[in-house]
Amino acid sequence: MVRFKHRYLLCEVVSDDSRCRLSLDDRVLVGLGRDTTARVHGTFGAAACSVGFAVRYLNAYTGIVLLLCRKEFYQPLWSALPFITYLENKGHRYPCFFNTLHVGGTIRTCQKFLIQYNRRQLLILLQKCTDEGEREAIQKAVTRSSLLEEEESAEEELSDSAGEATKATE
Amino acid sequence: MSNAKERKHAKKMRNQPTNVTLSSGFVADKYVKHHNGGGKPFQRKKQEPHLGTSRQRSVKMSPQLSSEPDVNEQSSSKIMFKKKGGWKAGPEGTSQEIPKYITASTFAQARAAEISAMLKAVTQKSSNSLVFQTLPRHMRRRAMSHNIKRLPRQLQEIAQKEAEKAVHQKKEHSKNKCHKARRCHINRTLAFNHRQRKNIWLETHIWHAKRFHMVKKWGYCLGERPTVKSHRACYRAMTNLCLLQDMSYYCCLELKGQEEEILKALSQMCSIDAGLTFAAVHCLSGKRQGSVVLYRANKYPREMLGPVSFIWKSERTPSDTSENRQLWIWLHPTLKQDILDEIKAVCLCLEPIESSVCIPNPLLTPAQEKSQTGPDDEKISKKRKRKDYQDAKSVKKLIGDGTRDPSQPRSWVSSATGITVSDLTMELNRFRLIGPLSHCVLTAALKAALIHTGEADTEETPHHWWIDSCKSSDSVSLHQRQEAVFQLLGGISSPAEIPAGTILGLTVGDPRVNLPQKWSKALPDPERFQDNEKVRQLLLEGVPVECTHSFIWNQDICKSVTENKISDQDLNRMRSELLVPGSQLVLGPRESKIPILLIQQPGKVTGEDRVGWGSGWDVLLPKGWGMAFWIPFIYRGARVGGLKETTVHSQYKRAPNIPADFPDCLAGSRVAKEQAKDLLEMYKRRPPAKRPNYVKLGTVTPFYCPWEQLTQEWESRVQAQEASEASAPGGKESDAPVPGKIHQPSHEASREPEVMDTECQDQEGNERVLDQDASEKLVTATGSQLCVLRNRKLLKQLSVWCGPSSKDRRTPCRGHQDLTREACLSILAHFPRALVWVSLSLLRKGSPEPHTMICVPTKEDLLQLGQDQHYCGPQESRHSDPFKSMILKAKEKKKMAKKQNQGATSSEALAPGAPATGQEALTLGLWSGPLPEVTTHCSRTLLGFVTQGDFSMAVGCGEALGFVSVTGLLDMLASQPATTRGLVLLRPPASLQYRFARMAIEV
Repeated sequence: MVRFKHRYLLCEVVSDDSRCRLSLDDRVLVGLGRDTTARVHGTFGAAACSVGFAVRYLNAYTGIVLLLCRKEFYQPLWSALPFITYLENKGHRYPCFFNTLHVGGTIRTCQKFLIQYNRRQLLILLQKCTDEGEREAIQKAVTRSSLLEEEESAEEELSDSAGEATKATE
Repeated sequence: MSNAKERKHAKKMRNQPTNVTLSSGFVADKYVKHHNGGGKPFQRKKQEPHLGTSRQRSVKMSPQLSSEPDVNEQSSSKIMFKKKGGWKAGPEGTSQEIPKYITASTFAQARAAEISAMLKAVTQKSSNSLVFQTLPRHMRRRAMSHNIKRLPRQLQEIAQKEAEKAVHQKKEHSKNKCHKARRCHINRTLAFNHRQRKNIWLETHIWHAKRFHMVKKWGYCLGERPTVKSHRACYRAMTNLCLLQDMSYYCCLELKGQEEEILKALSQMCSIDAGLTFAAVHCLSGKRQGSVVLYRANKYPREMLGPVSFIWKSERTPSDTSENRQLWIWLHPTLKQDILDEIKAVCLCLEPIESSVCIPNPLLTPAQEKSQTGPDDEKISKKRKRKDYQDAKSVKKLIGDGTRDPSQPRSWVSSATGITVSDLTMELNRFRLIGPLSHCVLTAALKAALIHTGEADTEETPHHWWIDSCKSSDSVSLHQRQEAVFQLLGGISSPAEIPAGTILGLTVGDPRVNLPQKWSKALPDPERFQDNEKVRQLLLEGVPVECTHSFIWNQDICKSVTENKISDQDLNRMRSELLVPGSQLVLGPRESKIPILLIQQPGKVTGEDRVGWGSGWDVLLPKGWGMAFWIPFIYRGARVGGLKETTVHSQYKRAPNIPADFPDCLAGSRVAKEQAKDLLEMYKRRPPAKRPNYVKLGTVTPFYCPWEQLTQEWESRVQAQEASEASAPGGKESDAPVPGKIHQPSHEASREPEVMDTECQDQEGNERVLDQDASEKLVTATGSQLCVLRNRKLLKQLSVWCGPSSKDRRTPCRGHQDLTREACLSILAHFPRALVWVSLSLLRKGSPEPHTMICVPTKEDLLQLGQDQHYCGPQESRHSDPFKSMILKAKEKKKMAKKQNQGATSSEALAPGAPATGQEALTLGLWSGPLPEVTTHCSRTLLGFVTQGDFSMAVGCGEALGFVSVTGLLDMLASQPATTRGLVLLRPPASLQYRFARMAIEV
């Protein structure tokens, strides 16, 4: 097919300050990305990766952000991401940093990766958990995600990992 | 635009998870669900009492998704953001409300929700394609959409859903019967009969429909061209092997009555000038087939009706008294109505014979047919019969022209002349075999009927007519002679060796009985006929007159033969019951005997090269037997062609194609109009940038040929020329060659006279006398009408004049006039607006196409051609397109009107009318409005148009056939020097390049 090829950067916003997540907004993120690339790579870099630059998905609760960029010029953006040290919104500055999880060619691959990643995170959480009540809550979350998957998914590899997850919960 | 783009984007993203943000704060209540499909009013209401004064909304929708609140999405997000933490939020003081830490359970739940959202997005496909289309190429399998099990198992479920959706969308099956019921014989026959109400099917229709592109033409369903790639193969078959065509769509008219009366009546419709008429000796005896061009009574040479071929029944039959003759006229279906009406008028046959008392062609009423078939119903019920009524109980296959209204008369009788005219359309099958191997195919496929000898089992057989005829020794010996002649045909290498139009009658056995097991090519056997005296005698003398007798002329016998045909099913059953499988089936006296008539078709008769090309045999069969003969012919190596092959055949024969190449007859002009309409539609279907701009190319009429205007313009041109000459001193007296202007180069004039003298003057004298008495009635009556020159004498003269040089002209020119002004004038006086059929062959490159213009080369062109060996031809300069600006203006106007419409709806009624009509009249790239002068529109004067043209595989260069104006031709020939006489320029409608071609008139 004839189309523009893209790169999707799946990032995680890590911040100590919980208020940081408040100001997580796509407009803020776009501005931040553009500014940082301009600072790091100059006007050319900024212009190159501002074409087709967008935020495809963000989740303030988990801090997951999916950035979209043209395939030809995703590297300036990628290399600029470590230089983001704070999130600015309405005059407040919240220190944070970006953790790139995955670079993919389609949304779909990023989503698949995200599923895997989240599941791993949940298991880690479960292992490290000390409080009994919380442990229960996490277990519930894990089972629900795997149950949902059993209902809906048709992919074998996912069901395999779901089996692992249930095993781990027991 | 942007709206559509947005919608497209929204559709693409509908399954993607939405953004989850905490834009302005957190909701106080722990049971309130944060939902990102926040457009739902009932939930907002539910929130409001809790929130009180707060305006905050927990989740903000991303802007591009606002158009599609998804219910599924919402349900998932409900789960997603259920919080136990009890985060408090307000517009002011967010800082103190936010907890200092995150509980693990919240975090885990957020993650779980995200997982489920992503899972949903991943598993749902977002594109519009079907499931199997998303598979990579190498994993696709045939008929995947039909059978879900061919998909990978994990996709089967989705595909199942899709298939169910598709089933609902598909419209209900129109037939209420199941497949098996539809295939059942009676229902099938009913359906077939129903389907041929409008366009009659030939008997070979089903065979053709499986292998050919079918077209509905002339009231028939005909095969146009084979679906396989076979242009060259069919040409080879015509030249070296055998090509078979079903010509049953040709119509047959029968005239019965006294010979003198018929001849007297028909002589009004044709002229001796145009060749042999119905009264030609060979034809009248029934020995040969003749062909003639019919005109409206006493209107020759105008008001042409069309070309026909005819056969007389030979006189020698004991039953018929000699004064009662039978004449069959075969013609193209487009010409039928005109000719039939004219013949009826000429023969004074205006009283239709009622079908019940119809003598020559009994068309039974339903009641009669029933009563006839009543007694032996069991026996015949399975047999094919024609059926003119819809009776559910005894549905029978339609044979012949069964769809015709039975009450419509098919024959007419005249009380004054005693002539009966009847329409035998579809009563006979006509198959045409073309090519040298047609003899072999015929002799291999057909076997003469066995003479009936046994007397015992006469009652059992239905073939009484044959038994009766076998009783007389005369007819038996005649049959044996016919058989002998037929066998001798196998020894003749090409049908062209036999005199043109030879007729041979025959009675043959059922050709299905000795059908070979496998397809094979029948090849000639030269050993068998070497030094055969009889073959040589046959070639010299032709088929004797007696042998042309056939029982096919007798309607009653034909009818009985059709009715008593053993069905294919019965025949196959008998074959299967044979003691030794695969052995020859011997039916004995039960075998059908079929009377047939073989007519030799002359191939190329005009011109000098390839004489006899494309000759062959026509086989006439009684109706109902079409398929029984068709398959055996094919099994003996005949290749089948369609209508396109007919066109190619006539083109290589350099003969005009019926009916497209007869511009002066009604059918021809009708066909031309239809063709123009089709071509225009095709042209309009392309975008303006992808089609030639004919205005710029200087082609005024790319889709049709304006013959009327062409001839008219040439007439007025020549008249104007003469007038200017008359005003000049001494121009009027044109007996002596006037230097410069006059047609004959002086050196020639000095050489010729002593040779030609007397004859020329005689001829001229004759011409003048003819002129005197004929011109009054001809010119005054129909002087203004278009006609095609078919006078053989004049054509011969023209063809000699067209010849390239004087030397060539010398030898055959005995008895011909020289090209003088006098001669030209005498022709022009007779035919002021005539066209003549010419054939053109290109000198070098170029392949002409229909509607190519034939132009007169200028002196410089000819000069350059003589100097430069590789000179291709001049080029037309590009014309300007005055219509383009008009079209643009109209478009702008329309736009303005549209804008105004949008602004003020009050002007709605006024605006769209005017520009719409303007738009319709103008098509970009076509000349609109009245035509300009076609002859002088381009840099070279227009002479005529090509009607058929293509690369000729027979000659190896481009060849074209067409018409030129006689006036223009004479004018051109006169002004050209003798060495290059007959050279013209051809220019296709979509090209600027002229190409040189040599013109010839073949007689």
